[in-house]
Amino acid sequence: MKYLDLAMNAAASLGAEYADIRVQKTTDEVIFLQNLSLKNTSNSVLYGYGVRFFKNGAWGFAHSNVFSDEAVLATVKRAAGIAELSATVNRDKKLRLAPERSYIAKYETPVLKDPACIPLKEKIDLMLEANRTMLSFEGIRRAMFYLVMHRDEKLFGSTLGSRLELNTQWITPMMTATAVHDGDSQSRSFNDGGRATGWEWIESLDLIEKAKQVAEEALIKVKAEPLGPEQRRTLILDPIHLGLTMHESVGHPTELDRVLGWEADYAGISFATPEKLKNYRYGSEIVNFMGDNTLCEGLATAGFDDDGVPGQKWFIIKDGILNEYGSTRDTAMEIGLESSRGCNRATYYYDQPINRIPNLYLLPGKEELSPSELIADTEDGVYIQGQGSFSIDQHRVNFQFGGDFFWEIKNGKLHRPLKKVLYKSNNPEFWNSCDAICDQRFWRPFGVINCGKGQPSQTARMTHGASTARFRNIRVGGSQ
Amino acid sequence: MNPLFEKIAQFVKNNCQADDYTLNIDLGDSHETRFAQNAITQHIAGPSLNISLEVAFGQQTGSCRVNQGDEETLKHLIRTAEGIARYNRPDPEYMPSIGLQELPKVNNCDPETRDLAPEKMVEIVGKSIDQAKTWGAMVSGMTEKHLWEMGLFTKNGFAGYDTNTTFGHSMTLKKDAVETKVSYSAKDFGGFSLEQELQRLGSQADSLADLHDFDPEKIPVILRPSAWEELLWFMAWMMNRRQSDEGFTPYTGKLGEAFFGPKFSLRSTLKEPRLSASPWDLEGIACKEISWVENGVLKNLPTNRHWAKEKNTEPISIYNFYIPGEGTSEEEMMAMVPRGLIINRFWYIRTVDAKAGEFTGMTRDGVLYFEDGKIKHAVNNLRFNEIPHDATRRILALGKPQLTSSIGMMPTLLIDGFNFVDKTGF
Repeated sequence: MKYLDLAMNAAASLGAEYADIRVQKTTDEVIFLQNLSLKNTSNSVLYGYGVRFFKNGAWGFAHSNVFSDEAVLATVKRAAGIAELSATVNRDKKLRLAPERSYIAKYETPVLKDPACIPLKEKIDLMLEANRTMLSFEGIRRAMFYLVMHRDEKLFGSTLGSRLELNTQWITPMMTATAVHDGDSQSRSFNDGGRATGWEWIESLDLIEKAKQVAEEALIKVKAEPLGPEQRRTLILDPIHLGLTMHESVGHPTELDRVLGWEADYAGISFATPEKLKNYRYGSEIVNFMGDNTLCEGLATAGFDDDGVPGQKWFIIKDGILNEYGSTRDTAMEIGLESSRGCNRATYYYDQPINRIPNLYLLPGKEELSPSELIADTEDGVYIQGQGSFSIDQHRVNFQFGGDFFWEIKNGKLHRPLKKVLYKSNNPEFWNSCDAICDQRFWRPFGVINCGKGQPSQTARMTHGASTARFRNIRVGGSQ
Repeated sequence: MNPLFEKIAQFVKNNCQADDYTLNIDLGDSHETRFAQNAITQHIAGPSLNISLEVAFGQQTGSCRVNQGDEETLKHLIRTAEGIARYNRPDPEYMPSIGLQELPKVNNCDPETRDLAPEKMVEIVGKSIDQAKTWGAMVSGMTEKHLWEMGLFTKNGFAGYDTNTTFGHSMTLKKDAVETKVSYSAKDFGGFSLEQELQRLGSQADSLADLHDFDPEKIPVILRPSAWEELLWFMAWMMNRRQSDEGFTPYTGKLGEAFFGPKFSLRSTLKEPRLSASPWDLEGIACKEISWVENGVLKNLPTNRHWAKEKNTEPISIYNFYIPGEGTSEEEMMAMVPRGLIINRFWYIRTVDAKAGEFTGMTRDGVLYFEDGKIKHAVNNLRFNEIPHDATRRILALGKPQLTSSIGMMPTLLIDGFNFVDKTGF
């Protein structure tokens, strides 16, 4: 904590209108196993601090990995100098920061079994058994298991007087089986993404049984037939698939920095512009999206964001209408908001935080409805499980998605497995075509661990969630 | 060599008790000025250090990475890597660290770029914004410079050290409905001319002012180098010897065959002075001249040391992209087909079918429609589903190779029947 006070006193004496320091230690344990070969068993620690200095409507950000009074003071001075340089350009367009109060607080991800305390042998033996299970199926040529255990320890201090200690962690297991048959190759994965919890989650998953299921389905998939020419069909999408769809078509378009054009040069902008707030029909009336950085086990749940703004819960889409954005202190003021929604996050200590998607999820349907009842209620359609190909334009309107496992639905039943299925749609067509969402019993989270954005590029995490949902009249077919 | 690198390498040599080790050190210094909508929104500077150690006891391996070079941290680095290796399971594909290599002489570091002052970079941003204002437009982009020092050391005697620089300046201009982008990225700041870049940006924006609706179809395209480079990255990602031998890519069984179009060649080269070329690859193999595709024939696929041993061949990897050209101009290309599209850039390319080598993606930053040898107007953006190696069989002409990044040089291509499948409203 002594560096926090030292840095903030120095920033104040250099005339900062606002400044903060984030001391961050990031630890990653990664194990990657492919066909019983340990391709990577590693431990990584990145430790340092970043100082943001705001003056005359401009930011300066400097970082260092050297911990000493002299180095901290030099880093503050460097950030101040950079801010002054920035201000020479921002003469006519000064950034402003939304008001915020100070906090003294501590947050820790609730964990029963710390993955760091689980012996390496136990982890690797589990992974090897899963690999062997997959490879015991004739036709499975590649078995992969990727396990990441991530921890961030942050100390945050600001010239507002905030002093925060934020310790978060998450874990992700991902398994893929690839089958080769008759000149084709197809994969099937178990991938629920990451979850902010401990080893107890891994123990609850029965990964050996899942490895068997994944291998069996990879073999079914490689022998399945393509769907055929594109035509308008009904789609039923499972929660893991919807996690990616909502990330691209709702999460990114409602980041306020994109709306403002701040990502125009790289990640793109957004069609969901401010004049559409409170009146634009983004989806059908049953479509409700919640931003929620208080979500239990959510990857963006950290107590506070890197602006020192507390985690919040709010409607982004309410009854199908665009309600609000995910914002930061410097983007909120651009559209006259009174405060930030707390979405400013950096990946490592050397990253300047940027506007990120919060934990964002589709609220479950209010009527009792199971996925099997939804399929039984569907005459003709395609059921997609898991995630595949994904691509969306830089305004976040036109998109094309694949999937991981596909069934054709005929007369309310799963008729035949399929492969190479794609669907094309756009905002607002897609979410307005949603006519049924299963109830809360079937709601499942999907934790994104690799959301790339920004220049220089950063990788953020957030959790999505949904119950299986149905979409009518969507263009579904093969790739051509 | 940087004394810090020597100190770290010596410390690891003196203290690592493992049977084998590989030590990687990267030291960087970056300055990045990001601007959007005519204002600086982010401005970042600072050093970075990465020290990675992989050790082995027999076939049991372990790795650790840290970002500080003091003795206490280095002790943690060695202890952690050794601890993992001791408790790890044997890796049946383990390869001992590489020994002494004769490395090629390269020149990846430009002193002018290394010494570029932040004030100069901010001046470039300021002038870019001032120009956009005179056009009544908004400009967004990034000006960046990086200096990297890299070292690789192994227990078996490899000791390599290299430095490289990059300078980049990108600008996306938005005026009314027009959005377009230019970018410069190279190892040398000396080749950069803001005036030329602004002229190119203004000219592109003017050409896009008259926007017409266009439905997707299979149509000839003139792919400018930045567009083709985007696609090439994805195609090259599939070009892996082991993945192909095991049946997962379109290149299975195609080595030595005319699998690409006869006009298409792809190389990694040390001979082109404008391209950066790492002296060694990830495993320490000395980089050399490699022809991946020669006049359509698939000559080589990237192969790591383990698979090279299995297949009794040489380990090789891609370290830069060079595609030779023919010198056909865009005007000559437009005259070669009745009608077509000129593509500035692609965006959000993703795999559709790994085995087929098929990708999807969108156009971005300006699409022009031409007919009867002349540009008629701009059109909306389009989505493609296309197989790049198959597209090379439809190459009708190539321009002169142009620098696209510090590791990419390629010509404009005229390709017949490019497969567009959807469109946007902008």
